[in-house]
Amino acid sequence: MKKITSLAVLLSLSLSAAQTQCANIYYSNNAPDILNINLTQKARELCYSAYAVMHSGVARSPLWSAEHLYGSRLNTKVERSNQFHPEDRLPKDERSELADFSKSGYDRGHLAPARDFSTEQSEYESFTLSNLIFQNHDNNTKLWADIEDATRRLAKANGELYVITGPLFIGNAIQQANNRVLIPTKIYKAIFDPSTGQGAAYLVDNAPGYNYQIISIAQLENISGISVFPEMSQRNKSDAMGLPEPKARSSTPNAKYDSAGLREGGTSGAVGHNLDLAEKGLKWFYKKGF
Amino acid sequence: MTKTTKPFMAFQNETDSFQIGDITVENRLDRISIYGSLDITKDKRGLADALVLKRIIDASIEEMKRDKNLPDKIDILQTNTVPNPF
Repeated sequence: MKKITSLAVLLSLSLSAAQTQCANIYYSNNAPDILNINLTQKARELCYSAYAVMHSGVARSPLWSAEHLYGSRLNTKVERSNQFHPEDRLPKDERSELADFSKSGYDRGHLAPARDFSTEQSEYESFTLSNLIFQNHDNNTKLWADIEDATRRLAKANGELYVITGPLFIGNAIQQANNRVLIPTKIYKAIFDPSTGQGAAYLVDNAPGYNYQIISIAQLENISGISVFPEMSQRNKSDAMGLPEPKARSSTPNAKYDSAGLREGGTSGAVGHNLDLAEKGLKWFYKKGF
Repeated sequence: MTKTTKPFMAFQNETDSFQIGDITVENRLDRISIYGSLDITKDKRGLADALVLKRIIDASIEEMKRDKNLPDKIDILQTNTVPNPF
């Protein structure tokens, strides 16, 4: 009986795209649908001038940051000096503070990266803790920085992209910093190209090393409990578009699709457990009683 | 949103972040994080970048020298394990 009720909730949630107060950030102004209702507890949307956040007061962490990336926005290079700061718009007991990160050994990892922003205000806004996760230093400064670069390259080559970046909390037990903030186990960057209707996501462990996967939006949906691009057709969700290799730093900013270092959906050189992950995603659904 | 013409107060806060070329510098209480890559070109720009980098290193050294209780190794706070709320 309980299962049926949960399923009904799940279906009703997934049939309509989520309401958003943040204009001109999401494709067709439709925010992701949260399919795992546990993620909706103390979830609050925060709009910024050039991106949006869904924040969890349970994790004291963002669930995702959303951006609309387009070429002209990425052409300006700003010399940045900035200040990390707590998000005053969130209730004190639901947000992280600078002190939570102090002496933790973790980086304050941007979901929406500072380099994606071209104005002083929008860049400053990316340094709010509501956009920052506990991220492994090696991951943040190498693989993840390259994935952010690759995403900008692709946005320039293709004209525009919609990007959802978020942490995942997978497993029965989660690490918590300072008895307050949940530490993500994985991080994803989901990309949607409105010109083709296609998409895919980079998926990495929040750990040292250069292992990453490129997964379909459908796989991400299974793992995350979030329908990141509700507008996508089921067919396109299941078929991962090619994404550039993080390491292929193309020097030509106007590089076309292929020369953007494109790779097909699948697994990167170093690891191979796509199926394993998909299976875990399914197990998660069953575990949660859907 | 003040710009960094003020002195760099090494290890004094967790807020400062700035760029020198493609290098990112972050001030932390227990470390100064410097990552990315930088070409110090032999021109006026390169000199300016090198001076900023030197200022950061100098300030870090001074602050550590001043610390009478400088540990052999910093302590990292332990995390705790909680059931997944999601």
